[in-house]
Amino acid sequence: MSEGGQAGGQRPWLVVALPKGRVLDQSLAMLKDVGLAVEVPKDPRALRYEGDGVRALVMRNADVPTYVDLGVADAGVVGYDVLLEAGSRLYAPVDLGFGRCRISLIRPRGATGPVRRVASKYPRMTTEYLRRLGSPAEVVELSGNVELACLSGLADAVVDVVETGATLKANDLEEVDVIALSSARFVVNRAALKLKSARLRPLIAALRESAQQG
Amino acid sequence: MTRAPLPEGIRFLDPEEAAARAEAVATLRDLYRQWGYLRVEVPALERLEPDHPRASKAFKLVDVGGSVLALRSDFTPALARLVRTAYPAVAAGEERPLRFSYDGLVWHAIDPELARGREFTQVGIELVGVSSARADAELIHLARESVRALGLTPRVEVGNPAYVTALFDAAGVPDGARGGLADAIDRKDQSAVIALVEGHGLRGPAADAIVEVPDLYGGPEVVDEALSRVPTAAARRALERLAGVLDEFEDQGDLMLDLGMARRLSYYTGVTFRAYTFDFGQPLLGGGRYDGSLLPRAAGFALGLGRVLAAVEAAREPFDGGAVDVSTAGRHADPLVASLDDAAARRLRAAGVRVVRSVADEPAAARAEAVTMGADFLLLPAHAGERPGERLVALREGHDHVVEQRLRSLLAAEGA
Repeated sequence: MSEGGQAGGQRPWLVVALPKGRVLDQSLAMLKDVGLAVEVPKDPRALRYEGDGVRALVMRNADVPTYVDLGVADAGVVGYDVLLEAGSRLYAPVDLGFGRCRISLIRPRGATGPVRRVASKYPRMTTEYLRRLGSPAEVVELSGNVELACLSGLADAVVDVVETGATLKANDLEEVDVIALSSARFVVNRAALKLKSARLRPLIAALRESAQQG
Repeated sequence: MTRAPLPEGIRFLDPEEAAARAEAVATLRDLYRQWGYLRVEVPALERLEPDHPRASKAFKLVDVGGSVLALRSDFTPALARLVRTAYPAVAAGEERPLRFSYDGLVWHAIDPELARGREFTQVGIELVGVSSARADAELIHLARESVRALGLTPRVEVGNPAYVTALFDAAGVPDGARGGLADAIDRKDQSAVIALVEGHGLRGPAADAIVEVPDLYGGPEVVDEALSRVPTAAARRALERLAGVLDEFEDQGDLMLDLGMARRLSYYTGVTFRAYTFDFGQPLLGGGRYDGSLLPRAAGFALGLGRVLAAVEAAREPFDGGAVDVSTAGRHADPLVASLDDAAARRLRAAGVRVVRSVADEPAAARAEAVTMGADFLLLPAHAGERPGERLVALREGHDHVVEQRLRSLLAAEGA
């Protein structure tokens, strides 16, 4: 509300939270495809993109569920892995199809010893996965370059994103088990879907169609 | 390290917030009383029961004897306990409508996240001993009226998780897969629903209905749509109950059906609902029917007071800083008087006027004190020969003369 209130003027019918990075361009293209074009400001530091009846808020991937859950944004685009990790109860009606990756258990190639400690930036998913297997291994939360934990001996396995597998190959690591498949999802605030269904329903339908073709 | 003055997720209420809260509670108590609901109080301290629906979320304490207690985490099981104790026949299955209202604090021992407190006020009602579409409708109507009474425009979503359960039965969804599938339906996660249905090799009309159910939300037409290819009698009953609830309403404008409401608190077994308001992203209240879980026949709802007041605040925002001066609005009707004259003050209070006793020892200090506290008038002791009320001093420029006259006549009244 602090953001939208003063400088933003009247709230457009749709406020959408988008993650920085590669997914941003794809999200903007898909929104444009369904008639919700926003102007990308010249200033690369800009955090808000305005369009006709729509405003995009640009933020870190992991913050999207918070903005949408609290209703500061009506909808958003976020990786399924982030939703799983946040334990989010948001509506996730559209699989946008891009940003595909796997969340996997990774070990040094040929490792056969016991898994006692697992490093990950997905502590929740990792803990649930280990619990499902009945493993008592300890989970260490890291913020990035998680593979390093394996290489340096901090952990004997890691749970991390695998896209092409190139990083694994380069570091002589191997994907032992796939825990979840992820791709970008269009998420919607629960109240917004019920209060603005006349406009969100057709939007969801259009996004599904667009995702299917793309 | 500095210690926070309060545990995380726990906060003080300043006088303004406390007043807003008290006023809202009074408004709701009045609404429920007018509909024949009897207010009850249930203890904040309970015995910890492992099968309590929120046992894992409860704050636990150890009793002197070593047994484990819990702070109240949910009013509904507490009310059910009251019914089992005080109305054993109803708890054993007697059909007899009992209406209760409650308000108070609940505590949740959860990770304190942004904008989620751990101690919050709930206000709600329970309609026990009866199960019918008409009873469901009464609760949904009162849910709507509660939101309206607090000055907000409601939108209520209504669903019946029994429909999804019936679809699961019809499609033969294995027990171990039901939680995950209900969760995916509840999140309207179409791709996850399809993946799970295919992953479990489910086929046929019931499986198709499961794939479609997340998108069945909207007006009464969604019930007709679902009824047109309903797989079993149980699914039909769940849908007909929803249709029956809607039929009870002349004005269905604020209601919206969502057949994909699949996952709620463990005790709900029938029609459930949530209320929202415009431009506020979180539900204001939630409730539903829990026949056969906590009691044979019962339903109710609880409203989150903090949420509602935040929504009221948000709705008011556009007017802030505008021409309307909120700080003095309503002051004319309810003036604040500071007084050095205890006898005169008593007369004003007896007439309902707010009078703060000055603790200053002489008029000049009393005046300074009165200004500091934001009083509208200062009442000084009358000298010999003066008429009572003569020493009433107006402290605000442009004060309301009608109010002043009223105060003067109260002070001068016969029998003083």
